[in-house]
Amino acid sequence: MSNKNAIQLDAVSKSFDGFKALSEASFTARWGEVHALLGENGAGKSSLMNIAAGLYAPETGSLFIDDNLVRLKGPLDASTQGIGMVHQHFKLVKPFSVAENILLGLRNDQALSFRQRLQQTAEEIKTTAARLGFTIDPFARVDQLSVAEQQRVEILKVLLAGARILILDEPTAVLTDAEAENLLTTVQNFAHQEGAAVILVTHKMNDVMRYADEVTVMRTGRTVASLKPQSVTVGELVKLTVGDAPTPPQVPASRAAGEVKLEVSELCSTNPNAPILRGVNLSLHAGEIYGIAGVGGNGQSELAGALMGLPEPVSGSMQLVGEGDLRDLSASRRRELGIACIPADRYSAALAAPLSISDNFAMGEIHSGRYGPFWFLRRRRIEADTAAAVSEFDVQGVRSLQQKAALLSGGNAQKLVIAREFSRQPQLVIVHSPSRGLDVRATLAVHQRLRSARDAGAAVLLISEDLDEVMALADRIGVMSAGRIIGEFAQPADRQAIGQAMVNHV
Amino acid sequence: MFDATNFQPLLARRYTLEVRQQMAWYWQALVIALALLVGLLISAAILVVAGVPAGELLNEFVILTLFDAQSLRAVLFQAAPLIMVGLAGCVAFRARFWNLGLEGQMIWGAIGATAISLFEIGPPSMRLPLMLLSAVVCGLIWALAPVLLKLHLKVNEIISTLMLNYIALNFLLHLVYGDWKDPRDNFPYSPQYRVFERLPDVFDGLSLAIVLATLVAFLVLWFTNVSRAGLYLRFVDNSPGVARAVGVPVNRVILGTVLLSGALAGLAGFMITAGQEGRLTHSFYVGYGFSGILIAFLARNQPIAATVVALLVATLFVAGRSLQVFYQIPFSMVQLIQAILVICVASSEFFIRHRIRRIQGGQS
Repeated sequence: MSNKNAIQLDAVSKSFDGFKALSEASFTARWGEVHALLGENGAGKSSLMNIAAGLYAPETGSLFIDDNLVRLKGPLDASTQGIGMVHQHFKLVKPFSVAENILLGLRNDQALSFRQRLQQTAEEIKTTAARLGFTIDPFARVDQLSVAEQQRVEILKVLLAGARILILDEPTAVLTDAEAENLLTTVQNFAHQEGAAVILVTHKMNDVMRYADEVTVMRTGRTVASLKPQSVTVGELVKLTVGDAPTPPQVPASRAAGEVKLEVSELCSTNPNAPILRGVNLSLHAGEIYGIAGVGGNGQSELAGALMGLPEPVSGSMQLVGEGDLRDLSASRRRELGIACIPADRYSAALAAPLSISDNFAMGEIHSGRYGPFWFLRRRRIEADTAAAVSEFDVQGVRSLQQKAALLSGGNAQKLVIAREFSRQPQLVIVHSPSRGLDVRATLAVHQRLRSARDAGAAVLLISEDLDEVMALADRIGVMSAGRIIGEFAQPADRQAIGQAMVNHV
Repeated sequence: MFDATNFQPLLARRYTLEVRQQMAWYWQALVIALALLVGLLISAAILVVAGVPAGELLNEFVILTLFDAQSLRAVLFQAAPLIMVGLAGCVAFRARFWNLGLEGQMIWGAIGATAISLFEIGPPSMRLPLMLLSAVVCGLIWALAPVLLKLHLKVNEIISTLMLNYIALNFLLHLVYGDWKDPRDNFPYSPQYRVFERLPDVFDGLSLAIVLATLVAFLVLWFTNVSRAGLYLRFVDNSPGVARAVGVPVNRVILGTVLLSGALAGLAGFMITAGQEGRLTHSFYVGYGFSGILIAFLARNQPIAATVVALLVATLFVAGRSLQVFYQIPFSMVQLIQAILVICVASSEFFIRHRIRRIQGGQS
């Protein structure tokens, strides 16, 4: 490991619409190291790295690459300087092939025809992939790849563009344990063996402890510490990140579950081209959290969609005891029965980002007529209810109820969804990856809400690809694989056994 | 880490561009008003180049058009149907339905009204309300097919509404050159409406049409901003996927809104035939479809703003006509001015989305 600085950001500040995202943040990564940038949601990690990648222009501060002062005019400049960033939300053209996507990011300085360049790129993709220890078909369409594979395409894209400083923004958020391990080992090799600099933007303590050589901690737009992760404990690191140490998640106490609330039987996808669900059977009791664990892409999204009342082509039944099939219930009836849904993707299924917080909140009770008849909206009542819910559910960052929902950070947007869905005492809660992209504190708050809903007698179905989350919350755990529940475990369950079931079953 | 000697800011410029998250509506209105002003100044420059003396221009546009009682009446008279098509555009676009069939719906509105007059349906005292009702229903029905096709078969409404215009137009020509032609002369129009079939003046030459238009504008405002349907519509407009997921009856909202759009366009047809022409003519609708879209765009689909913009467009129409008479300026100049205004307002979007801010304490 050399001691030369690869990239150094000095006292960088940046504001968005009056909000100071970064105040005098400084960060230094050396060649040959995996440098973790740790912090809660909204701490400014992504903003700082977007400045490093030339996407944002800072207001003050300076940037050094290889100890030379540089000014980046844009991402292309950054790429010339050898900086490559893999964003949390991939920037790939879905209907294009892997090779086409990668070619898009390369400079057109050759006298070759498009077809020749494509062929050449394909070869480079194969060699680079082999060097990093995986294989990928350069001519596969991107939308047919799994999330983990798409991420590899992103990495190849920046590496083939010549990146020596690789920035990965929350790379493991969408991966399973095994995939994450794979990825982190790969980038570790890239740093240690090839002498590159890898910056890992994350809020996962375990990734930091296991893979980082150095960690910089950010809090509210400032860099608060830079140290070797081996020299501290997880507790100390958590304390640095959140300011005060939160209580660790606990395995829920077993309690006597009530009668059956929801009976799903033989739920199958009816689309013959995508038979994703292949006969899901489960029964959910009142007063329990039933967790569905599994590797992503085994039908969890489809199951969640069907249960949440989205137009999902399925056969089989989803009987809500005493009320009939979930599909036959209108939106207003679902609300009346206290069915609460918390989808995985907040901004495509729960919140209209450009609309105000109060407009979004109003949808919870709009059907019941609480907010007036069809021809009149009782705005004052909506605002009062929203204000009460915002304070009760601790939604932060609300400057005004008329502010767009898009301005909320991930955790607070999730709290707003929960506030709306739980505005009536929930009887049946269907949640999908509720803590995806949330920091430690927000995750704990969300988990606490789910536990108290259960303790109040609600039946909670938790679908999550994060095994730790399922282990921490669920009273019973079903493992989903290839569109079926292939095994059930009662708490206290053996993490190893569940992990085995998740990956072994075909 | 911080070395003052070689410290240099990343940016030497003292101004920075920020993406704005939100802008209060009155600032947005101010920006748009300024953009309109810039557009008008450019237009004035073009008119001066085209041969209108600069002093006369101000006289023509501002003094004569707005401060002369007769011209002002002409502007208001012209504005009523423009307000209707503008509103029709606003509501349809809010449902993400690109209703390019405003003209077809206007034609059917006019045909519906004329049929009541021609066949003398109802007593004279009820004739005008019946004509209005008939126009509304006919306009609405002409919008029904495209919206049903879109909702059930995903047929692109841009094509279907546009093509239905031609059907409506040819049917109109069939009527005014055929069975409905005024027997007294040979021109392609229907017989003159009787006096009680025409929109009366309420006082001092102010047509009932403009009163009606204002009233309808407030009803549409109610629909979009006060009713629950308006809230649903905001969800459909901004995030159709979320709307469905949170229980908005998306299809019903789209259906209702598009039918309202058709009804408003039908009303515009009624206002022209019963308010201005006094009969069904073969070309009364020309230009209104484009103007409706333009007004809705300039007004950002806001009903009250649409009313104001419609008044502006009407002023342009009236002033354009007198420029045509006195300075031989072609009427297409009016369309050019419209286009300039649209481009200016579209560009002003940049200032609504961004903020230019001076960096405090930035070194140079």
